[in-house]
Amino acid sequence: MLKPGGFSTRIIHTPFAKEDVNRALHQPIYSNAAFDFESAEQMEQAFQGRLPVHAYSRISNPTVENLELRIKQITGALHVTALSSGMAAISNVIFLLASSGSNIIASRHLFGNTYVFFDSTIREFGIETRFCDLTNAEEVQANMDVRTVALFVETITNPQLEVVDLQFLSELSHKNGVPLVADSTLTPPNVFQAMSHGVDIEVISSTKCISGGATSVGGLIVDYGTFDWSKSAKLAPLAKKFGPFAFNYKLRREIFRNLGACLSPFAAYLQSLGLETLQLRFEKAATNCLELAEFLEKIPQITAVNYPGKEGSEFYEVSKRQFGNFPGAMLTFDFASREACFAFLNKLQLIKRATNVYDNKTLIIHPASTIYCDMDRETRASLHVGESSLRLSAGIEEVDDLKNDILQAL
Amino acid sequence: MATIKVNGKDQQYELPLTLIELIKKNNVAQPEMVSVQLNGEFLLSEKFGTTQLKDGDEIEFLYFMGGGSRC
Repeated sequence: MLKPGGFSTRIIHTPFAKEDVNRALHQPIYSNAAFDFESAEQMEQAFQGRLPVHAYSRISNPTVENLELRIKQITGALHVTALSSGMAAISNVIFLLASSGSNIIASRHLFGNTYVFFDSTIREFGIETRFCDLTNAEEVQANMDVRTVALFVETITNPQLEVVDLQFLSELSHKNGVPLVADSTLTPPNVFQAMSHGVDIEVISSTKCISGGATSVGGLIVDYGTFDWSKSAKLAPLAKKFGPFAFNYKLRREIFRNLGACLSPFAAYLQSLGLETLQLRFEKAATNCLELAEFLEKIPQITAVNYPGKEGSEFYEVSKRQFGNFPGAMLTFDFASREACFAFLNKLQLIKRATNVYDNKTLIIHPASTIYCDMDRETRASLHVGESSLRLSAGIEEVDDLKNDILQAL
Repeated sequence: MATIKVNGKDQQYELPLTLIELIKKNNVAQPEMVSVQLNGEFLLSEKFGTTQLKDGDEIEFLYFMGGGSRC
């Protein structure tokens, strides 16, 4: 049988796990909670994992499984788990890998909720996070010890737009017996192949471009089966029996089912549909983003423009190497003051004032007064969140309409 | 004849017998999704065709529902 090779073809033609009785062309939405069994014996076998049937939708569901299979198809992963949000994906991975007394190395530049999760939520469970400059190998190495259970990185940090050399970090991490966990939300699988850059566990907020342009909230854990789990104090006993499947076994048989952050079948349907047009939409949005970056740079009132895909960016080369011609669809730019930012925001007509990224609509936000409003000015400064910076997520509109909106708002 | 325990039940087979042949003889449901434990250890699917079974082996056919599923 012809084996599809293209990114979109592979998504669109991923077979269902089981043939649909009505030969539907899209996986139907199974919104039920539980599934019936033919006999007590079949039920027993299903609970023992000896039959390929679903039992309860918190644990597995045909519509959700179809999304997971499609992601597996395009990433080459060993296993994919879909969850209720990107933060659920991060928290499931960290609760799986870490215990009281262990520590995590993370970038000092993180998405706001992720930063608070590391800095506060898990600290209360006795898990320490050591925030480092991940572009400084000596600093990262100096902070790793025998209790380090993960190196956590965002492929493009939000909103600083820093890009780290993942291959280099992967080698450093593996040398220390630590898995590399990467949040690749800003660089979806059509532009970033995580496994080829040494990522062991990938987490994605599928709410963003995968969902079809912010149609629903969801998250993904992509396990590449590349890490030797015998090096993990927590997973070593499972690694003896399950080898590269130890992470997946612990996730599906314990952490994921017990934390209960499952994706709803309706959201899975929307995200599966969105995935089919991911490549088309993302390439358009990233192209718009580069054109807007070059446009904004020529406007005198704007004092700085940051986009890793723009020549002259300190991250241009590493972005090109890791993400090709489409290094994200998000940029930041600065005015002289916070007041100037607010005045500009208030005059926009097409571009939406909203907190999400990778909607089909272009979105804009002043991060310091919103996402980071619970932090004091000094903490924001330490995270390089500028007081006079705006973050813009490019949509898929015609770029001239976006330029006209910017011009009239100046 | 060799005795091989499959999902907890003794079965008789002529040797030589590979794991992939055992999967076919047992009409294992969704063979592209099944994970196999041989004497308590999971096998990579690439090894199914070359793994020769022997008398006394214990085989478990298992499924991780969701997620792409095969060990």
